[in-house]
Amino acid sequence: MKTIIKSTLRFTAYIFLLTFSLNLLAQDPAAPAAAPAAAAPAAAAGGADDALAKAGEAVFNANCKQCHGFNEVVVGPALKDAHTRWNNDAKLKFFIKYPQKSINTEPYAKALYEKYKPSIMPNHDGLPDGDIDAVIAYIKTGGPAPAVSKTDTPINPVEGGGADSATTTYLLGALLVVLLLIVGVLAMLISVLTRMVSTKTDVTEDEKEYLFGKLRWNVLFGSPIFRSVATLVLVVVVIKFGFDQVYAVGIQQGYAPKQPIPFSHKLHAGQYEIDCNYCHTGVNKGKSAVIPSVNICLNCHNAIKTQSPNMQKLYNAVETNEPIQWVRVHNLPDLAYFNHAQHVKVGGIECTKCHGNVAEMEVIEQHSTLTMGWCINCHRETVVKAEGNAYYDKLLAMHNQSSKDPMKVANIGGLECSKCHY
Amino acid sequence: MKAPMKNLLSILAVGTALLATSCGRDSQSTGTEYAPQMYNAVGYEPFNQVTDTNSEFYNSNPYNLNESGSRAKATSNMRPPVAGTIARKMYAGTPRTELASQIYVYNIPADSLDLASRILKNPIPLTPAVLEEGKVLYGRYCTPCHGAEGKGNGKVAEQYKGVPAYNQGNYRNLTGGHIFHVITYGKGRMWPHGTQVNPDERWKIVHYVATLQKQS
Repeated sequence: MKTIIKSTLRFTAYIFLLTFSLNLLAQDPAAPAAAPAAAAPAAAAGGADDALAKAGEAVFNANCKQCHGFNEVVVGPALKDAHTRWNNDAKLKFFIKYPQKSINTEPYAKALYEKYKPSIMPNHDGLPDGDIDAVIAYIKTGGPAPAVSKTDTPINPVEGGGADSATTTYLLGALLVVLLLIVGVLAMLISVLTRMVSTKTDVTEDEKEYLFGKLRWNVLFGSPIFRSVATLVLVVVVIKFGFDQVYAVGIQQGYAPKQPIPFSHKLHAGQYEIDCNYCHTGVNKGKSAVIPSVNICLNCHNAIKTQSPNMQKLYNAVETNEPIQWVRVHNLPDLAYFNHAQHVKVGGIECTKCHGNVAEMEVIEQHSTLTMGWCINCHRETVVKAEGNAYYDKLLAMHNQSSKDPMKVANIGGLECSKCHY
Repeated sequence: MKAPMKNLLSILAVGTALLATSCGRDSQSTGTEYAPQMYNAVGYEPFNQVTDTNSEFYNSNPYNLNESGSRAKATSNMRPPVAGTIARKMYAGTPRTELASQIYVYNIPADSLDLASRILKNPIPLTPAVLEEGKVLYGRYCTPCHGAEGKGNGKVAEQYKGVPAYNQGNYRNLTGGHIFHVITYGKGRMWPHGTQVNPDERWKIVHYVATLQKQS
């Protein structure tokens, strides 16, 4: 008994510790925010150049930030102390305006080119002189302080909802504690009561039977009511199981095969919001939505995550001129014809209607059943997107003569066998 | 009395066991197929994937060489276009005078960006419908990096870096020909996108990008 209470207490202590440390963790990201606030007054001490540097910051953010950071190499070099490396504002200004000309005249510009090629800075002769002066003034301030901590944080695919999940953890933890306490109290009550009863001597046989007797299982199992109910349940279960198995033949819903590269749609389509069309280029043009070729992967992965072993598979595919052998997920039987362009471009059906919320799928899987009933059902319910499409003009006129309902796919032959089976 | 009860119990146990196994479907398996002869195409379909050469349904075209020139791993039916062939669209209804500008041949070499900037003119007349189409195409193929407003702040650009804003500095004044050529062949950090968007689509995107260049 005592050990139970002890362990309950210990567990409660763990829960408290855990929730407390979670609390600390949750507050952690807020801590660096204090740093820039402290740094701000130091920057303000600049005086007259302050306004110019402020203007320079705007120009920098619009024109330079894409390729330059202050403390880290982005595409081009880090700009902290760039003015001291050049040691000549006029030359630096000329370089910003005409980097490619500067390479021929300035040894330092040539050295930069050699270091960062094949990237080459474009001319900025479109910027007014005042803007370039402002940018140089801004570079002299040393740039924004929080940039350092920002680049240190690794790319975290799972973000957002941090506060929500923390509160959920608290709630669950508290509930667990309450439940454990209740269990503990009940256990104590039972043990105390049992001890009290066992010391009593004036208990009748009936009461003893009730208090200490065992449940007579064989009587229960032997009863005809129980047996007939059990048989009925069993028959129902077997029939249901049998039907489920038969209906699952040829249905690959939930099929999520392991792919040669663990490509995450959740990351690409979800977090980075890359449109489906960017990779599946055929979806508006033809029967097949097309599995992207490696050159499309390399549009980004020539620069992103180049060291990952999975990227090496891409680079090998390019070198050997062999496609990546992705495993096909949606195996529509050859007996049925399906055309992506007809549904997506003409019909205006969203990808998610059939493929589910792909932007949430870490591993791609078949969302729909792809059965004939599933197709037919949609053809019965979906209104044809006829406006702005001259092909449907006469069909729509004819349909409107005989019916007041909107024209569904089923109304224009969407249930004909030969529409899909030929 | 006891024997039938035991039977009943064992039947129940087997039943629940079957039920339990039927719930978890193997995500790695395509499951039972009823009539594979009707499932697998006889003709050469682009993404058919029967890689077992001994299979009854192995139908990769044995006469297709893989790109390395061998038949050893020619498991894919998808082929690159024959060298020298040109993708084309339906030219029916296109006025004779516009044929030359609308044809899909693009002769300007990749390294002649300045030439393209100077001489190329957008063959697609600017209409609200074309602009709307350009916006949709821009959304599909350009926003990941260039951002919805062309400010170079797309979600991918945060990782990829070095994406300029269209309405800043020299980028404001780039010609349509320049943009067309860069979409086709890439420039600097941007890789070629000619395989993803055909010339018509590229010119529509050019129209839309022009509106993004003009924004202040």
